Amino acid sequence: MPVQDRTNEFMSCVDSIISRSSIPSKRDAKQRLLQNGKSNTKSEFSRMASGIGKEINSTNIKLGKLSQLAKRKTLFDDRPVEISELTFIIKQDLASLNKQIATLQAYIKQRKASGSKSEDGKQVDEHNKNVVTLLQSKLADTSMAFQEVLEVRTQNMKESKDRTEQFMYTASTAASQPSTNSVLFNSRGDPMGDGSPSRYDSKRSKNGDMLALNLEAAEEGSGSQNGGAFMQMQMIEQQDSYIQSRSTAIESIESTIAELGQIFMQLANMVAEQGETVQRIDADSHDIAANVSGAQRELLKYYASISSNRWLMLKIFGVLIVCFLVFILVS
Amino acid sequence: MVKIYSISVLLAPPSSACTVLSNASDLSQFSFYQKGSVAEFMSFFARTVAERTPQGQRQSVQENNYTAHVYNRGGAESLAAVIITDQEYPVRPAFSLLTKILDEFTAKVPQSSFGNPSSISFPEIQVYVTKYQDPTQADTIMRVQQELDETKIVLHKTIESVLERGEKLENLVDRSNALSAQSKMFYKTAKKQNDCCVVM
Repeated sequence: MPVQDRTNEFMSCVDSIISRSSIPSKRDAKQRLLQNGKSNTKSEFSRMASGIGKEINSTNIKLGKLSQLAKRKTLFDDRPVEISELTFIIKQDLASLNKQIATLQAYIKQRKASGSKSEDGKQVDEHNKNVVTLLQSKLADTSMAFQEVLEVRTQNMKESKDRTEQFMYTASTAASQPSTNSVLFNSRGDPMGDGSPSRYDSKRSKNGDMLALNLEAAEEGSGSQNGGAFMQMQMIEQQDSYIQSRSTAIESIESTIAELGQIFMQLANMVAEQGETVQRIDADSHDIAANVSGAQRELLKYYASISSNRWLMLKIFGVLIVCFLVFILVS
Repeated sequence: MVKIYSISVLLAPPSSACTVLSNASDLSQFSFYQKGSVAEFMSFFARTVAERTPQGQRQSVQENNYTAHVYNRGGAESLAAVIITDQEYPVRPAFSLLTKILDEFTAKVPQSSFGNPSSISFPEIQVYVTKYQDPTQADTIMRVQQELDETKIVLHKTIESVLERGEKLENLVDRSNALSAQSKMFYKTAKKQNDCCVVM
């Protein structure tokens, strides 16, 4: 969205506000002075900003074209030269846009430093800052979209390479696989870097070489080429044995660590179960304590009742002895 | 038993003969009179094997009961490193040791002194010989693997003791259950004593 020039609307608003409220003429003069003085510089700023906006627009259009090209998934109709050119152009555009926005920012700072009138100057500065922020955010969106397009492109290339491998697998593909993997990883990590177009070229040319080699081998069935490829394979196998042994050692370490993790989990489970058992024991022991203390209370009561009951017992026994004596005397 | 006999760094240009740049050996198990000839044999072995290894390649050669692992790194300085060990020394740490030695050598010794082998002083090579006599401690990957195995053993023992603890806890639960029942009976009987024999 290019920067629109709404100066006329602003003027009409100002006029309406002036007509509504009774402001002294000094303010009028001041405002008109400001407008006159500002018209040059404001138009310069807006010129730069609109220029940047237009370039961002054109870059977005190019990016759209690139994304269309990148989305094509055909096996043979790939147009690597065009895509790399377009990528390069877009990258240059983004870099130049960045520089232009930086100069715009410097221009604003310089304007602020050279002194501006208090109230309206502040508003103008704020407006400028907002415009610059808007342009920066648009540029950021464009570069994010660019990055996504590059990722889609690398994915599609990888898929097409897999498909060609399915049809025509030879030793040369295995030999060149590690190098292309590293190139892929490099370019994936640095799509905006300076080296990316050349890397893409080299990768795509390697793809082209592989395809060419495969076709030739399939057509001629020449032994020497395959022999050369096999020799390379052997050398790489010898190199690989050390690397492979290292990787197996590290994999065994990894599996050991996973086993240790499992053991720890089992340990945690067992301890949790045992914790439950301990809780049961704890509850039981509380019950035991309560029961035993209650039984002790009862026994104390019994003992107290027994010891206090003696006097009653004596009286009862006395009555019984008297009856017994009476019984004997009667008989 | 795993042992290193000697380590040497050689200058191995692709077409011509090799020269030994730095050498360190541990010949303590040979008798005094044998040491000289054994040292000569080792250097000859190292030189021959390094000459016969193409650039950027690793090789292991066996001869009677000596094994030489050679890594010809080539590159700008065409350096190669050879380690002569007995047959039981594990292969992979030997090669990582060679790579490490070559990196240190290129870092420490300037290329200008390659033409004058006697002026090169690289004492770390002797340190390496003594340190790597026990590869399981010196090589990082092997040390990590060893420590992990020890940890696994300790954990197995821990799990066994936790199982024993579980058994004892089961025992305790049963006993506390029985004790709780008995104390309950005790309480009831004591209570019955008070209620049953109320003597006026």
